This record gives sequence, C-alpha cells and structure tokens, in this order.
Amino acid sequence: MDQIYIPKNREGLEVGSIVVIKPLIERKSKIKIYSYNTKSIEPIKMKIINEIMSYITESIECENIIITGSFLNQGFKFNDVDVLIITDKTLNASKIKENLERKLQIKTDLLILDNKSLQQGLNTDPLYNNMLSKCISKNRIIYKKQREINYKLLDLHLLKSNLMLTNFDNLTGNEKYNLTRNMISILLFIDQKKVSNEKIDEKITQSFKITINEIKENLLDKKEFLTKYKQIYNNLYKRILNNGTK
Amino acid sequence: MVQNRSKLIKLLIGNLSNSIVHSILEKSLIDELHASRYREESLNSLTLAKKYRDKINPTSESLPNKDIEEIKNAIKQKVNLELNLRIKKGYTNISINLIDQELEITLKKLKVSP
Repeated sequence: MDQIYIPKNREGLEVGSIVVIKPLIERKSKIKIYSYNTKSIEPIKMKIINEIMSYITESIECENIIITGSFLNQGFKFNDVDVLIITDKTLNASKIKENLERKLQIKTDLLILDNKSLQQGLNTDPLYNNMLSKCISKNRIIYKKQREINYKLLDLHLLKSNLMLTNFDNLTGNEKYNLTRNMISILLFIDQKKVSNEKIDEKITQSFKITINEIKENLLDKKEFLTKYKQIYNNLYKRILNNGTK
Repeated sequence: MVQNRSKLIKLLIGNLSNSIVHSILEKSLIDELHASRYREESLNSLTLAKKYRDKINPTSESLPNKDIEEIKNAIKQKVNLELNLRIKKGYTNISINLIDQELEITLKKLKVSP
C-alpha cells in the first residue's frame, strides 16, 4: 500500500478531514534573465517582466526580448513598458501589443527589430545607445558598439528638439525634459561620450544648473532656460550642418 | 493659456514647417535610416500643430482663404530656407519639389484647407 505523509504539526487538515489527492502541477520554469545597469527592480515589476517574457516566448519565436525605458527606473512613474523583440521573422506587432496589453493591463510600447537593424541603430543613433544602457533581456546582449557619426541622421533627430524653441509655453514639464534629453544625447554621442540616462541627466544638470525634477515639474525660469537651450541647440545645429556631408 | 488667433497661427506655421522639413529630410535619408525609422515619437510637430489648429476658429471647416494663403506662403518660405541651407552644405537627395505636395496633404489633414 502506498502511503502519503503530512506534517504532524500542521495548520489545517484536521484529523478526519476529507481530502482529494492529485498530482502536483508541474511548476513553470522561471525564465533566466540578464540585467544591465539596473540596480534593483521592485518585485512587482519583476513579476510583470517575467510575464512579458513568458508570454512572448510561448507565443512567438524570437532571438531575444529586451525590456527597457522608464519602467526600469525606481518607483512607479512610468507611462508604459518598452518591449523590444529581436527577430528576423516578420511579426504582427500590433497583434502582439494588443494581446500583451490585454494580458497585463499595462500600456506597452513594442518595437520589433532584426539584429542587423539593432546593430545599425546602436552604431548611429544615440537613442538606441541610451535604450540599451539600462535594460533587462532574456538572452545575453552581445553587440559590438562601433559608433558611426552620421551627421545627416543626427540632424533629423535634432530637429525634434527644435520644438522647445517655438512651443515652450505650451509644453508640459515631461515634454520639455524629453526634448532636452534628446538634444543632450546627440551632443554626448557626437562628443564620443557614453550615452546613458545617468550621463544625460548629469549633463543637463551641469549645463542648465537646474535639477531634473525642476524640468519635469515645469518649474523653469523661461528666459534663463531658453537662453542656455538656444546656445546648446544652435552650436550643435551648426556643428551638424557643417559636417552634414561627412 | 488663452492665446490670440495670430499667435496660434504663428505656432501652427512653425510646427507645420518643422514637420514638413522632417518629412522631406526623412525621405532623403531613406537608405540610411534603418532602425531609426522605427522611432515612434509621442511628441512631434504634427501633433502640436494639430493642438493649435483645434483652437483656431472655424474648427470644423477649413480656414478662410486669406488665412490659408498666409499659412501656405509662410510655411513654404520657412521650409525652403531650411532645406536650401542643407543643400548648400552639400546634402544630396533633398527634393525641394516635394514641398507643395507635402504642404497640400498636411493642410488638408489638419482641415486648414478644404
């Protein structure tokens, strides 16, 4: 006769209780993840990350899944979860995004790239450098960073930050921060410096002599801020245009 | 913040010009953009322009001809200036002749013109 042992000192299951014996459901194996420059992630966020990874792994074939953006910053001041899927296959991004959002009930910003495009993005675009400077991935990230300064591309990216000059009064603090961040990331990229959230914020604080929160909370001295902004923007614009054909 | 009509039109012109310059430059860089093509910007000139357009009366129909002409001319001038600056610096593949086409599409999209 087979026997089942249960602890003598137990909570519940009093003598005489009627029980059902059934096989233990096999536990889902946890996905191993790789973390890059993320100091500590709140357990609830880790749960979300695991769910994202599991869902994508189960539903599609891909080489890597990368979670990045403000979701990885401490606290809960994020707008969405930035998910990057690396695959050479053609996928229906909107369908995956829709299912992911339905499952998690969190807004996601989904980007599907092949390895070649990501490598090119890392070589030429400060945004991609920043994106992978702090991230969590399913597989180890191995890319050779060979910075290529393509001034025409940077010109296009810098054009976005021009919005500050004409729309200052109508922008929110977060929008002002994003435009400043875009401009400073281009500056660091051209200067062959490391592009990461920390480095960008450090440079903004140092250049504008204000804190990041002051920008985000829209507590700016318009004249002082715009004077400095214009100075950096115009210098960068000239540098880029003068080298545009390189 | 309450803004007067001419100030709103000025802001509309500035943002639409930026948006058209961006669009034409993007087309000139089609082979070099690669991954950057996938950048989705939540804030861009066109969304801001739309915000201003929605505050300029009449909002449900196109603007009076006088305004349309003023807006068209100002945008053309600004876009031409920006693009020609780049052409002089040696940029290639910039199609100045796309300005009219882009302008028409954008003005219709924002119900500036019929």
